[in-house]
Amino acid sequence: MLCGAFLYCACQNQTPEVPSADADLTGTKVDLSGVVTSAKKVFLLNEGGMGSNNASLDFLRISDASYITSAFKKMNPGAAAGLGDTGNDIAVNGDEVWMVINNSGLVEVVSAKDEKELAAIKVATPRSIAFDDKYAYVTSWAGAYAIYGPDYSITDFKNPKGMLYRIDLKTRKLDSKAVEVGYQPEGVAVHDGKIYVANSGGIASSLPPAYAYDNTLSVIDAASFTLEKNIEVAVNLKNVYADGKGNIYVTTLGNFYDVHSGLYRMLAGGSVAKVADYVSISALKGDTLWFVGNAEEFDFSATQRTWKAFRCKDGVLAEVNLPVGILTAPYGLCALSDNAFLVSDAGDYWNPGTVSLFLDGAKKWTVTAGVCPGHFALW
Amino acid sequence: MRRCAVFLLSISLSTPWCLYAREADTLSAARVVAVKALPVVRAAEEMKLEGKADVPAQLSDVLQVFTGVQVKDYGGVGGLKTVNVRSLGSEHIGIFLDGIQIDNAQNMQVDLGRFQADGFSSVALYNGQKTRRLQTAKEYASGAAVHLETARPALPDKVVGRVKMRAGSFDTVNPSLSCSAGLGPVALSVCGDFLYSSGRYDFPCFGQTLVRENGDIRSLRLESRLFGNVRGGEWRLHAYAYGSERGFPGPVIRRAAGFPFSAERQSDQDFFVQGGWVQEWNGAYSTSLKLKYANNYTHYATHAEKNPMAFPYDLWYRQQSVYASLAQSYVISDPWSVDLSTDVQWNALDSDVGMFAEPRRTAFTGALSTRYVLDRFRVAAHLIYQGTWDVYKNLEAGAWTRENRYRDAWMPSLSLFWAPLRNFEIDAFVKRSYRLPSFNDLYYRLVGNSDLRPELALQTGADLRYALTSGPWRFDARISPYYNRVSDKILAIPTTSQFRWTMLNIGIVDIFGLDVRLTAAWAAGDWSASATTRYSLQRAMDHSTPGSSVWGNQIPYIPVHSGSIDLSLGWRKWRLHAGSVFTGERWSRTANIPDYRVAPWSVTDLSLSKTFSFPALRGRSTVPELSLGVVCRNIFDRHYEIVQGYPMPGFNASLSIEFNW
Repeated sequence: MLCGAFLYCACQNQTPEVPSADADLTGTKVDLSGVVTSAKKVFLLNEGGMGSNNASLDFLRISDASYITSAFKKMNPGAAAGLGDTGNDIAVNGDEVWMVINNSGLVEVVSAKDEKELAAIKVATPRSIAFDDKYAYVTSWAGAYAIYGPDYSITDFKNPKGMLYRIDLKTRKLDSKAVEVGYQPEGVAVHDGKIYVANSGGIASSLPPAYAYDNTLSVIDAASFTLEKNIEVAVNLKNVYADGKGNIYVTTLGNFYDVHSGLYRMLAGGSVAKVADYVSISALKGDTLWFVGNAEEFDFSATQRTWKAFRCKDGVLAEVNLPVGILTAPYGLCALSDNAFLVSDAGDYWNPGTVSLFLDGAKKWTVTAGVCPGHFALW
Repeated sequence: MRRCAVFLLSISLSTPWCLYAREADTLSAARVVAVKALPVVRAAEEMKLEGKADVPAQLSDVLQVFTGVQVKDYGGVGGLKTVNVRSLGSEHIGIFLDGIQIDNAQNMQVDLGRFQADGFSSVALYNGQKTRRLQTAKEYASGAAVHLETARPALPDKVVGRVKMRAGSFDTVNPSLSCSAGLGPVALSVCGDFLYSSGRYDFPCFGQTLVRENGDIRSLRLESRLFGNVRGGEWRLHAYAYGSERGFPGPVIRRAAGFPFSAERQSDQDFFVQGGWVQEWNGAYSTSLKLKYANNYTHYATHAEKNPMAFPYDLWYRQQSVYASLAQSYVISDPWSVDLSTDVQWNALDSDVGMFAEPRRTAFTGALSTRYVLDRFRVAAHLIYQGTWDVYKNLEAGAWTRENRYRDAWMPSLSLFWAPLRNFEIDAFVKRSYRLPSFNDLYYRLVGNSDLRPELALQTGADLRYALTSGPWRFDARISPYYNRVSDKILAIPTTSQFRWTMLNIGIVDIFGLDVRLTAAWAAGDWSASATTRYSLQRAMDHSTPGSSVWGNQIPYIPVHSGSIDLSLGWRKWRLHAGSVFTGERWSRTANIPDYRVAPWSVTDLSLSKTFSFPALRGRSTVPELSLGVVCRNIFDRHYEIVQGYPMPGFNASLSIEFNW
């Protein structure tokens, strides 16, 4: 294993590059022995607390095994406002890192090499992001309206449906065309000319008239950028993944009351089958989806925990040894390889959380991250 | 007549709900012998507000200078202002208006921003156990208390009144009018005030200077009070209506250009009617009966049609409460007396929020207390019982059933007063108090936990006071060490299902503190001058989870050091006042790291006022007076935040003109 890591580093050094501007950033040294990965960096977006303007970007530099916090702030000292408020999603496209800063109304693009800001694109209440060759697709909760009578009674109310926006990858401009999807869309994935959007209905569930979660996956044709169909899955959709082989996976949160969270798989004909119950955190690596769930998720006394981890390949489940139950509040998952995982811990969701490396089913180390460390991306 | 003397003492020394008998006026001080009505402990701080043109307009600004008090201010005239005392959260602080609690069962916090300082005759802060005859049981039951008092009008003439206009920065206009009239044995007073402010002020925003938007407020307050006497007793009736409409400017965060920080609006309609009757039945037995009905309606909307960044919420809440209190006091053998106070309260919260629990709470509070009161030595012991029975719709049970739950708590306390020397006094108290879980703690959808226990505060403290008068000089010193422990503290924490939070009784906070106040005053001829320095030391340590990274850290928003300086100078009818408030560094999280450090701040205010007297009109004994005042706040134009993300205004000023007749 060590040998492999060494070889990998050696390969990297064959084409000498100008040292990147962030090479001087130092962080916490960690132990990556035994970890085999082709990634140069693992980025972690810390959500921060809503209204606290403390979203932050950390990364783990594989070459010297350093964990560096608040990289955006350190590499962009002129950006006085920092990364912004509530980082909700992160994805790598080529040598760019795209981050969805929900409560700032921005999609932030930085260089993966040195975390320097390349663009900040205005999008109302953006949630998640995915790419094809031409566009970045961003889900958004925007589109709400209500009209009030003189006594503040609602005379016309449109239960707000969300939108799917697209941003041109070359110009980094928001396209004027948008597609209306379901209520409060969350995750988005692209496969073979189709865009899949997971609709949660998280806000609609507490609003009149229906007080109901959404339960649909929207399928959008990328070429015409129009809604093709909505497929019923289960209540409160969260993430959607495309494994590159045609499998579309959807995770759901349930209703926190009598419908559990779960994993669903869309089959070729468009029908949907449940794969598993209990999905709290999940990550796709190659064609394998890794996820961790808690069978005690309706026990709100917060003492009992029965966390179990699984991997799913082509719809086939296998249990994995990943004891995240030793953490306080597992919040984000990143699969580096079949035996190495980074798991973030939100702690009390208020003070800075942590990231831990689990290797071969055992926790190797833990470092301090930012508040609500939630979203990983590999470069 | 001896009984009347007791009443007189209770008026002059303390009480809002005094026993007041007309004939008492004729008593000479020499005949005042009974001490049984003396308060056992003094208020930690007390300030007269009536008839001063240079008092800050907002009550929260008055409280801010008191030792041990931290005002959490979100900025602007309409911004939320809550108060905590000696690191006890604002849920532990009872706010009492003429002895009856202003409460909020929904979140247990009272917004002091709703109260104008000139609506009251005095404000007093009690850190420990307020103990006096004929208190309501709820007056015994809160951890610390702020008492707002309105005086019964003294009516030498048939009609007196006051008209006032205040105007200044942020386009603020605040006219008010009050009038009192005597109608035989009955006195009537009515007052009203209107407030408008645009709430617009400059603030620094990540290298730019922006103007705070959507912080405007308009409010109207109308009140009427009726006072009357019966043989050996007194009654009061007070009706209050308040309506406001305001915007919340939102936290200052990074936000895409063109999207507002906030378009949130809230309108409130508050109404209450409260009354009381205090009766002395014979020399030994007296009673006080108090009643209140309150109805508070709040409409909150995020106006997503104006702010694409808003979650589309449009909700209303209505709180109602019915309250009755009977206090009885019996003098077993002067100076030994015993009191029994019994309160019953019913609260209801309704809303159009989806799957709302519609909680109803019936609370019983009983306080048995006994006092032994001598001139130089006083002791009081209290035993308070509080029991609440809640009824609510339970979604978790799988259907819309009504469940009920009973919570109760015993709260003993002991107060001592000893004056070993004529000018040296010592107060000490030890007390256990609880605050009930609020409706939000218990029943807020996806967060509330109906298994919560009340939150416990164990308090102990002492006051050492020294006073010296010498010629034109007067010196006062007060040193107050204390220790508080809050346990079973209700905290919101995430559950094993990371998307759902819950409330649990897991917090523990240990608070060691020291309050110091020094006053020097001088008066000679037309001149008077005084200087007061206050300092508070608070070490409030999080002791919730042994071994956690934040163990022992200072809890959020509590400064270790804070204080104030007040200087005033008077010459004839001129008054000049300068005041500075200082708050040391704080942290917005229990992680006491640089990212969450909130910078220390200090602001200095300056005010000047002058009163002109006019000849009395024929047949009237009162002298008409015109007062002019100017209050300049934050004269050094400091930019600061009390709550992270909520900038406070820089230099601002107001002018007031007041005519009393």
